[in-house]
Amino acid sequence: MVDWVKLAQRSRLGRRLRLGALSVFLVAVSIPIAVPYIWMVMIAFTARRGMAETGTLWPALVVILVGLGIYGVAMLWLRRERLAIVMGVLTAFLLGLILLGQDLHLQNFRFMVNANIIDDLDGQGTVGERYPWVWEAFANSLLLASTQTVIVVTVSTLAAYYLSRFSFRGRNTFLQSLLVLQAFPAITLVIPIFLIVFWVGLLNTLYAPILVLTALELPFFIFIMKGFFDAVPWDIEMSAMTDGASRREAFWMVVLPQVRVGMIAIGVFAFIKGWEEYVFVNGLRTGESYWVMSTYLYYVREDVMGVDYGMVAAVAVLYVLPALILYLFCQKYLTQMTLGGVKG
Amino acid sequence: MKATPQRFDAFLFLGPAVALMLAFFVAPIVVNILVAFSDMNQTVRFEEFPTTKQFNKLGKLDPEAFLGIELRGSFYRALALTASFVLLTLIIFNVSFALILALTTTAVPERMGAVFRAIWLLPRMSPSVVYALLWLWVVDSAERGLLNQVWLLFASEPLNLRLDHPMAVIVVANGLIGASLGMIIFTSAIRSIPEHLFNAARVDGAGPLSIVRHVILPALRWPISYITIYQALALLVSFEYIFLIMGPARSTMTMAMLSYTKTLAPGIGGGQYAYGASIALILIVVGIAVALLMWRLINMKSLLQRPRIEVN
Repeated sequence: MVDWVKLAQRSRLGRRLRLGALSVFLVAVSIPIAVPYIWMVMIAFTARRGMAETGTLWPALVVILVGLGIYGVAMLWLRRERLAIVMGVLTAFLLGLILLGQDLHLQNFRFMVNANIIDDLDGQGTVGERYPWVWEAFANSLLLASTQTVIVVTVSTLAAYYLSRFSFRGRNTFLQSLLVLQAFPAITLVIPIFLIVFWVGLLNTLYAPILVLTALELPFFIFIMKGFFDAVPWDIEMSAMTDGASRREAFWMVVLPQVRVGMIAIGVFAFIKGWEEYVFVNGLRTGESYWVMSTYLYYVREDVMGVDYGMVAAVAVLYVLPALILYLFCQKYLTQMTLGGVKG
Repeated sequence: MKATPQRFDAFLFLGPAVALMLAFFVAPIVVNILVAFSDMNQTVRFEEFPTTKQFNKLGKLDPEAFLGIELRGSFYRALALTASFVLLTLIIFNVSFALILALTTTAVPERMGAVFRAIWLLPRMSPSVVYALLWLWVVDSAERGLLNQVWLLFASEPLNLRLDHPMAVIVVANGLIGASLGMIIFTSAIRSIPEHLFNAARVDGAGPLSIVRHVILPALRWPISYITIYQALALLVSFEYIFLIMGPARSTMTMAMLSYTKTLAPGIGGGQYAYGASIALILIVVGIAVALLMWRLINMKSLLQRPRIEVN
């Protein structure tokens, strides 16, 4: 006679144990990734005397862990998501106020209002009047990332629509060469790209990284967008045209709204790429003709390292924030991208 | 029909894409090949074209030597460093650990798995300069380094990883980023396995491990081969994180690093464009070979499916 109740109990216990073990494993491997980022934020908001201190890191971790713990317990007992989040955040906030309240300050962000970052460094800077105001670099980064995003989304959407809908001589050859380019390691081309940009006279202008990044991303994005267009049934275009729309109107008013998700997804990717780019930005300028956030942080770190950690961390926080916010809000679009044509 | 179907202008739709790719993607490949056979330096002029001078700097023909080529010391070193960097990162992180992450985050409740995947995507989403900055602070050789603060709880001497274990630093630094791509691809592949296969396996008495072994892994065969090849290529040519974390250190001078530091690296780039291009050419040849190999893994039929509208 099988004792079903006991069997079910044992299986439930086994499942809980397994879940527990997996959670412990995932937490353990994720801590090394998360802690440095938390540290960076804590240095930016608490460091005084320019030192990189971990004094505030450990209390901050305690605060986060307690908040998460309260959330977990509340979820287990009350099973109400909202309430659990509110309780967790509230506890973390109060505990944070008690443990870290008097350590928090915004002094390290003073470079945001004071145009000269070197001027009021904590300690002796080794460089002269070299850096522009941080907002100049910020604006340049924004300009680079957004212009490049607009261009690459427009161009790849147009090309993908044509490749998805029309047959023309050499279409297969074109797609196959595109596939080779997509797999091609573009970063190896940094030297000839520098030479070409130099020859056409775009060196030391922001046009160069905008055009180069666009061109290098195009093959991949065209395939992504072609996948989205392929998924739009031809019938809806047909019915639009039966109702009197021209081909262009059908493309603009009927098909484009269907691939909106794809356009947002590649747009987010392109923006984050343009925002973070370092190699092609730094490689395509010879002097200090323009500053973007990546070069700004790189040289501030080089020059100020060991002098004012708090300020370096504050610059890094300012730099990383837009990319992270964009990523968090657009995550649901990114997961809808499928890798073009990989056998699954 | 009221409106006659307009003839769509290929020029309007494909033109911009073709022009951009020709100018900044195809042309650079050609230029790289030409420059590699010249002696271009800081003056940026084609000198002594054509010459194999640059390749002689890498190695010289010698019928006695292995494969008929005797490599120069620095290039041999770069080759060996590249091989160990690529293999270690690929095997430990980009494939194995990515697989472990995909398996574990899909085995826990959905929301929780998503949170852990988001954490692992953090390094990929944050700018490379920021990521490198965090590494420099964590492995700082002084006692204030985050790693040393933990290490000194158990040991008496602080670690200086960048000096003593440079390869470990660049392998882990690249691996933590590399693992996330495999994780994403494998996760979506696991998701696309029909639920009834899992149920059938459970009815047949399969435990979690044998489900992994007999249901999940067979379904991941193509994604794993794809990620292996794709990431091997990406690691072979990558130098951004190595440069940002290690600088032009000799201990981590892989081929891609050598090519970059001899030409464009800020502050130290020597402008030896032809020399850099000749190393890049080797990487490009390998890259094209691998890209062609990848064709075998791509579903050509779906890619080349007939267009939706038959207009010539």
